[in-house]
Amino acid sequence: MSIQLNEGVHLHVLPTKKYKTIRIMLKFRAPLNKKTVTKRAMLANLLETNSKKYPTQTALRSALSNMYGASFGTGVSKKGNTHILSMSINLVNEKYLSKGDNVLQESIDFLKEIIFQPNVTDGQFNDKTFKREKANLVDYYDSLFDDKQTYASLALQELFFENVDQQTPSVGSKEDLEEISAASLYEYYQDVLNHDKVDIYVLGDVDENEIRSAFKQFEFAPRKVLKSSSFYNEPAANEVENKTEQQEITQAKFNLGYTTAIFYHDPLYYAAQVFNGLFGGFPHSKLFMNVREKESLAYYASSSMDTFRGMMTVQTGIDGQKVDQVREIIALQLKEMQAGNFTDEAISQTKEMLKNQLFQSEDNAGAVIERIYALELAKETILSIDEWVARIEKVTKEDIIEVANKVKLKATFFLTAEAK
Amino acid sequence: MDKKIYEQLQETIYTETLENGLRVTLLPKNDFHKTYGLFSTNFGSIDNQFVPRGKTEMITVPDGIAHFLEHKLFEKEDGDVFNTFGRLGASANAFTSFTKTAYLFSSTNHVSESLNTLLDFVQEPYFTDATVNKEKGIIAQEIQMYEDEPDWRLYFGVLGNMYPKHPLHIDIAGTVDSIMDITPELLYENHATFYHPSNMSLFVVGKLDPEETMQLIRENQSKKEFLPVEPIERIFPEETIQDIKPYDFIQMSVNRPKSIVGVKGVTEIPSGVKALAYKTTMDLLLTLLFGPTSANYLNLYDKGIIDDSFSYEFNLDRTFHFVDIGGDTKDSVVFSDEIKKILLDAKNSSELTEENLTIVKKRMIGQELQSLNSLEYIANQFSQPSYGEATLFDVVPIIESVTLTEIKKAADEFMVEDHMTTFHILPKGENEA
Repeated sequence: MSIQLNEGVHLHVLPTKKYKTIRIMLKFRAPLNKKTVTKRAMLANLLETNSKKYPTQTALRSALSNMYGASFGTGVSKKGNTHILSMSINLVNEKYLSKGDNVLQESIDFLKEIIFQPNVTDGQFNDKTFKREKANLVDYYDSLFDDKQTYASLALQELFFENVDQQTPSVGSKEDLEEISAASLYEYYQDVLNHDKVDIYVLGDVDENEIRSAFKQFEFAPRKVLKSSSFYNEPAANEVENKTEQQEITQAKFNLGYTTAIFYHDPLYYAAQVFNGLFGGFPHSKLFMNVREKESLAYYASSSMDTFRGMMTVQTGIDGQKVDQVREIIALQLKEMQAGNFTDEAISQTKEMLKNQLFQSEDNAGAVIERIYALELAKETILSIDEWVARIEKVTKEDIIEVANKVKLKATFFLTAEAK
Repeated sequence: MDKKIYEQLQETIYTETLENGLRVTLLPKNDFHKTYGLFSTNFGSIDNQFVPRGKTEMITVPDGIAHFLEHKLFEKEDGDVFNTFGRLGASANAFTSFTKTAYLFSSTNHVSESLNTLLDFVQEPYFTDATVNKEKGIIAQEIQMYEDEPDWRLYFGVLGNMYPKHPLHIDIAGTVDSIMDITPELLYENHATFYHPSNMSLFVVGKLDPEETMQLIRENQSKKEFLPVEPIERIFPEETIQDIKPYDFIQMSVNRPKSIVGVKGVTEIPSGVKALAYKTTMDLLLTLLFGPTSANYLNLYDKGIIDDSFSYEFNLDRTFHFVDIGGDTKDSVVFSDEIKKILLDAKNSSELTEENLTIVKKRMIGQELQSLNSLEYIANQFSQPSYGEATLFDVVPIIESVTLTEIKKAADEFMVEDHMTTFHILPKGENEA
């Protein structure tokens, strides 16, 4: 059930008896813009730390502990042209607790406090908290270098996209953080509260009317929401851009970015899912079988699709000396896909795996909300699981070949050890 | 087949030990689409000295063999088991820990076939020189991937300080050199010793009918022949408190220093339900001292000594138990000094109050109940052999029963300076005074 609380503010109640918990998720979304991404990441950190009523982390975490360890967290992400600031709370359904606590109502009140009563004095965020979280975010940016898989995928993103908004990580950047003050951030927060599109999801064994009246108390003003598309389309390249970087590491990372020009729920979307499964998405895929099982060149070699940006990524961890061989094998696998060199059995196997994945994700409350939200972003009506499966079933070999021929290499990033 | 009902949690567990010794546990959850099966053996990376089945002499096997065996069971004469699961639309995986190797599938269709496949591929080994040698390259890449992961290196750094002789300090996958000594013969010998049904357990959770599922398992097992049940002899090196290395560090390609403090448990490990109660007591102690509702956490966080990467755990398993507390920090020395100071003063800590304990217990109970949404979590917890008859579903009353006096006693006994150690990771080129 979807209810418009106000223009641009929607509540979606998803009743189910499957879980021992109730999950509440609030999503604020705005057009992706490098100028605001870092502010939004800072907001996520500040709002998670404290509030007016709970001015320290200990006070805030004690409140949550008293609600039987309700898990509360904030986060930022991006999907295509959209940046999303989210806030979630996961709590135990009261019927599994011995005493008659009203954890659900307390959690909703808690969220209301966090959103509308932040730790603000004289029009700016609490100075001490702001400085601490700013320093922590700087440390976090620095630590992205420490995880080499993350580092390699961010480096590929920067190389692949020409658009600066797309190049920027969803958590923002150090240079933009320097410009932000406790006052300017609070000013921007007003903008988020008044202009972002807001979607609230409540999933669990709940009463719809009770939830509706609880969220009516949230004072979100009406807002006009632009009807712009969430999809970002990167033009294909005439020439492949290659970049190599050296660090003192043991294993090299070789990542490749391709344009696909296929988007969420396009006519070819389902064929693209099957293509990805055959090419590098599953253990029976061409990449896994050839790069890993046949040639023993890697522990992981896989592909994934970003259907809000029309992109496919291949990621591998390899011996740096063997990069040319790996590059050739990957190129050959794509050619094989384009030529239709894969069996009907492999197709049906991939379809079975995709269906299994889909049904399994229905067992995870977080994944259910993400799927419905992605459909909301794509401005699609909510598809039932059965319709989804039917569309996967309809994919033909010709469709898969058509997808393979739309996949074009655009950039490669190679992180390798320094020459001895 | 035994049946046990947990009223408060609205769960029913079915168990049976088959004639061949295999322990089977079923947990129907018919609201779920998915069925998840976990087949595990009580054999992990630490089991490197034992008497092979049918022999009398103790042998030492190459480091990383349990993990190597896990990889190799997926390959058969007629191809890869992933393909068989793939045709059934099931996803499969496996993992090796210090004390356990586990194989799993999850599926929303063709569950009977998937379950038979799981039992068959784990119980029917097939190794040749060619397939074993080919795997060495893949596992070498896996080992090298972990070598670049700072958190993994930090963890093994502190384990190395605490357990310089016990095989716990050895990387689960072994080393690039040690795996070169692995042969098909060694793999068959390890399989024959540790994959006997009496050393294994099977847990199936999710959409299932308990009678039909148990019948399928019985039929599958009765078709196969196994040797008689026999205990497995293993030995572990003796260690003294003097063996503990108080400090070490390495340099890596990182921007942020990392620091970890370990406290080695040296008293005898309780078993069965007592082990679970002991673990719960230690978990409560650590949460009181370092949890997000503690004054210590706020103080260290506000000083910039810890950040969101901060974590603490009490680890208890077959032959070992220890505490480790670590994370990213601006100053690895200040981090470990502060943590040690708190630990050494634990029994007198102002954090240990009835009021704080009530809050911490509430949180722990709530989080335990939240984790029951995950079939994977349930299956993994049920496959822990350390707690005897006690299960995951007994945790909540155990949390409720722990007293502040017990927590203070545990703090007093466990937090001894001579049992503590620190390990640091520094950016390349940086040294400590």
